[in-house]
Amino acid sequence: MKRDRMAQLRSFWKEFRQVRFGVVGLVLFVVFLIGVVFEGPLLTYRDTNTRWRDMLYWTNSPRYAMPVWVNWFTSKDYAKSAVIEPHNVVEQTDGLRSVTMDFPYEYQAGRPPSDVLVDLAITGQVALSITVERPDGRTLTYTKQTSSSGSQQLRISVDQNLRERVYQMVASAEDPAIASARNPKQINAVGALFGKAQHGIFSEPEVLNGTYKTTLQVTLVGATAKLDRAQVVIAGGVSGILGTDGNKRDLWSGLVAGTKWALIIGLLTSLISVAVGVVYGVTSGYFGGWVDSLMNRIYEIFVSIPLLPILIVLSAVFKPSIWIMIIMMCVFFWVGPVKTVRSIALQLKENAYIEAAHGLGATHRRILFKHMIPQLVPYAFASMALAVPGAITYEASISLIGLGDATVVTWGQILFDAFSSGAVLQGIWWWIVPPGLAIALMGMTFAFIGFAMDTILNPKLRTR
Amino acid sequence: MSEPILVAENLTKWFPVKRSVTQVMRRERTWVRAVDGVSFSVEKGEIFGLVGESGCGKTTTGKLIMKLLDITDGRLMLQGEDVTHITGAALAQHRRHVQMIFQDPYASMNPRFTVEDVLMEPLEIHNVGKDRAERDVWVREILDEVKLSPPEEFLARHPHMLSGGQRQRAATARTLMLNPSVIVADEPVSMIDLSTRAEILAMMKQLQREMGLTYIYITHDLSTARYFTDRLAVMYLGKIIEMGKAGTLIDMALHPYTKALIGAVCEPVSGRVNRIKDVPIKGEIPAATNIPAGCRFHPRCLYSVPECWEEEEPTLADVGDGHMVACRRYREIQALGDAARTSDASLGLRRTA
Repeated sequence: MKRDRMAQLRSFWKEFRQVRFGVVGLVLFVVFLIGVVFEGPLLTYRDTNTRWRDMLYWTNSPRYAMPVWVNWFTSKDYAKSAVIEPHNVVEQTDGLRSVTMDFPYEYQAGRPPSDVLVDLAITGQVALSITVERPDGRTLTYTKQTSSSGSQQLRISVDQNLRERVYQMVASAEDPAIASARNPKQINAVGALFGKAQHGIFSEPEVLNGTYKTTLQVTLVGATAKLDRAQVVIAGGVSGILGTDGNKRDLWSGLVAGTKWALIIGLLTSLISVAVGVVYGVTSGYFGGWVDSLMNRIYEIFVSIPLLPILIVLSAVFKPSIWIMIIMMCVFFWVGPVKTVRSIALQLKENAYIEAAHGLGATHRRILFKHMIPQLVPYAFASMALAVPGAITYEASISLIGLGDATVVTWGQILFDAFSSGAVLQGIWWWIVPPGLAIALMGMTFAFIGFAMDTILNPKLRTR
Repeated sequence: MSEPILVAENLTKWFPVKRSVTQVMRRERTWVRAVDGVSFSVEKGEIFGLVGESGCGKTTTGKLIMKLLDITDGRLMLQGEDVTHITGAALAQHRRHVQMIFQDPYASMNPRFTVEDVLMEPLEIHNVGKDRAERDVWVREILDEVKLSPPEEFLARHPHMLSGGQRQRAATARTLMLNPSVIVADEPVSMIDLSTRAEILAMMKQLQREMGLTYIYITHDLSTARYFTDRLAVMYLGKIIEMGKAGTLIDMALHPYTKALIGAVCEPVSGRVNRIKDVPIKGEIPAATNIPAGCRFHPRCLYSVPECWEEEEPTLADVGDGHMVACRRYREIQALGDAARTSDASLGLRRTA
C-alpha cells in the first residue's frame, strides 16, 4: 500500500513537472521556505522580530537610505553606511586615567553620508574630547563633560549637535559675505564636513574624498568611571539590500521577518478553512434533503457577509492579534470550497460502493470520512493553495488600515507605515515596492501551485 | 425443506413523484409504484430467483429486503422476526444477516480501496474479530473460499487491477465476511464475460452448499436463472405474476408474459439465431406511475378479453406443485398455445427441409 502511494506521488510529480507555471510556483515557494528556515543568517538586524518598533534599536541607521545597489546605477555614489570600530587604543593608567583611540573613515563616494554619529556608552564621570581631522588638515573639535555617576549612552550627531562647529571649521573658505549671512544652525553640516573648502561649501559642497580621522580622548575622572563602548557610525545615503524607512528601520530585515508570518497566515487560514469547507460541503451533499437546504442557507449567509468590515470592527474592538485575525478569516473563508465539494459529493454518493457500504451497515460518518472525503483530498489541496493569497492580502489590508497585530512584523504593516508617512508622495519607492511585490509574489506562488494542481487533478476527479 | 427464512407479505414500495405547484394545490399525488404488493417466502438453503424486464421492480425488491429503502407497505420477516420498520441496532443486526452482491462489481468497490480494505470493511463496521491478526486470517480464508488464491497476491490489489471475474469473486467474498444467512445477488453475472459466468455461478452454488447460504437471485436472464435457482418468480410492473420451481416454470410456463419472456431468449442454434422471433407480446412496458386497471398485463397481452380489464386484478393461484400463476385465462391460453406450437413445429420442419 505504501509503495502504491509512492507510485501515485511519483506520477503526480511527473505530471506536475509538465505544468510550467506550477514549477515556477514551486520554486518560489521553496525560495520563501528557505527565507523562513534561514531567517537567522538572513536578518541583517538580528533582533528585528522583537525590536521592530523599538526606535532605540534603529538609532544607528540612516533615515530614508536607499538600497545599496542604487549605487550601481548612479554616477555619483552614495556613501555607504558603516560602523567604525576603534583603532590604536591607548590607555593611560598612571595619574589621571584616560583612553585615546582613532576612528579612521576612508571616504570614497560621490555624495556625503546623511550623518556621522559618535556613539558612546559611559559609566561614571568623564571628560570627552573629540576631534575630526579632514584630509585637507582642517580639524573639528568638540569637548564635553559628563557629570552623572551612573551609566549612560551618548550619541553625538554631526547633523544635530555639531553644526556650529562645522561652520566654524569651514567658514573661512567661503566668501565672507555669504558665510556671515548664513545661520550656522541651519547649514548642511554633513555636506560641509565632507566638502572641499572652497566657495559654495554651504550651498553646493563638492565632495572631498580621503581619510577622515576621528580621534576620541576620554579622561576618566572618578575611580569607577569607564568607557564601555565607543564607535563611529556613518549613516550612509544607501544602506542594506533594501534601504531603510522613515523610522531608520532596515527594510530587508523587516521583509525577511515578515515572510514567516505571511506563510503562517496563508497556510493556517487555508488549511483550517478548506478542511471545514470540505467536511461541510460533503455533509451537505451527502445527506441531501432538508439538511442540505439548511446547510445551503447557512452557507449563503456566510457568503453574503462582507469580511473586510467585520475584520475592521473586530480588530478595533479586540486587541489586534494575528491569531484572532486568522480565526476570523477561517470563520469566513471556509465557504470557498463548499459549493464545488457539495456538487462532487452529490456525484460521489450515487456510486454503487456507497450503497454497498450502506448495505454492509456502515454509519454515515464512516461513509463520509472513509469513502467520500478521501476522494476529495486532491481538490482540497488545490483549493487550499488557491485560498492562501486571499488570506495574505486580507491580513495586508487590515494592516494597511492600521489595525494589524503590533507584536509582529508583517508585510502589510510595512506598507501601512509607508503610506502613513507619505512615502508615496515623497517618492520613497524602496519602502513601498518590496513589500508590495512580496505580497504579490507570495500570492502568485500559491496561485500558480493551485492552478497547476487544479489542471492536473480535476480531469481525474471528473472521470473517477 | 425447512421453515422459511425470509417472508415478504404484500411488500410495497411507492416512490412519490415531484409535483408541480398546481398539482400540490389540487392535492394530486402521483406515485411510481415500483413494487406493488409482492408476496413470497424463501426457505433456508434455497436459491430463489426474481426475473423480469428492467423496470419491473426486481432490484427495488432486493433493496427492500436489504432495507436500503424504506418499505411503504406490507411486511418483511427474517427468521421469524418482523424487520419491516426496524432501525438502529436492530437494523445493524439485519445488515449482518442479509448481504448484497451488486450488479457491477467494479462500481460496488471503492476504487481507492485494496481488496484487503474491501474485505476488512464489514469486519470493522460490525467490530467482528478480536484483533487485526484474527481478521487477517479470516480475510485469507474467505479469499481461498472464493478461489482468489494465493490470497497474498490479491490483498494489495485495487479493484481496477482485477479482472471482471476476480472482481465479482472479491465482491462475493465481501458478502461472506459476516457469515450472513441471506444473500441478495442482484444480477451478479450480467456484467461479466459469458465465458466466466458459469464459473462464478458454480462457485456461488458451491459456497451455498458448503455454508448453507440462502440466495435471492435477481436477474433478467432466464437461462442463468434456470441453471442457478431452485424456485423462480416472474415479476411484471411491480408484481409477481408467476412463481414456481425453476424447471417447471420455464418448461411449462402458464402466464402469457412468462411465455413471451421465454420465447425471447436467444438460442444459439444454427438456423435459429437470425430468425426474427415471433414473440407473443405487443407494445411497450407501461410507466409504473400509471398501472393499467384490471390485469396489469392486459394492454400487451395477445389473449386479453374485456373481462381482463373490467374485472379485478387476478391474484396468484396455485395450480399444483407450488406452481402459482396470476392469470384468469391461463387454461384457455394453454390450449391455444398447444395448437400454435404444433403448427409452428410443422412450419419449422418445412423450413429446414
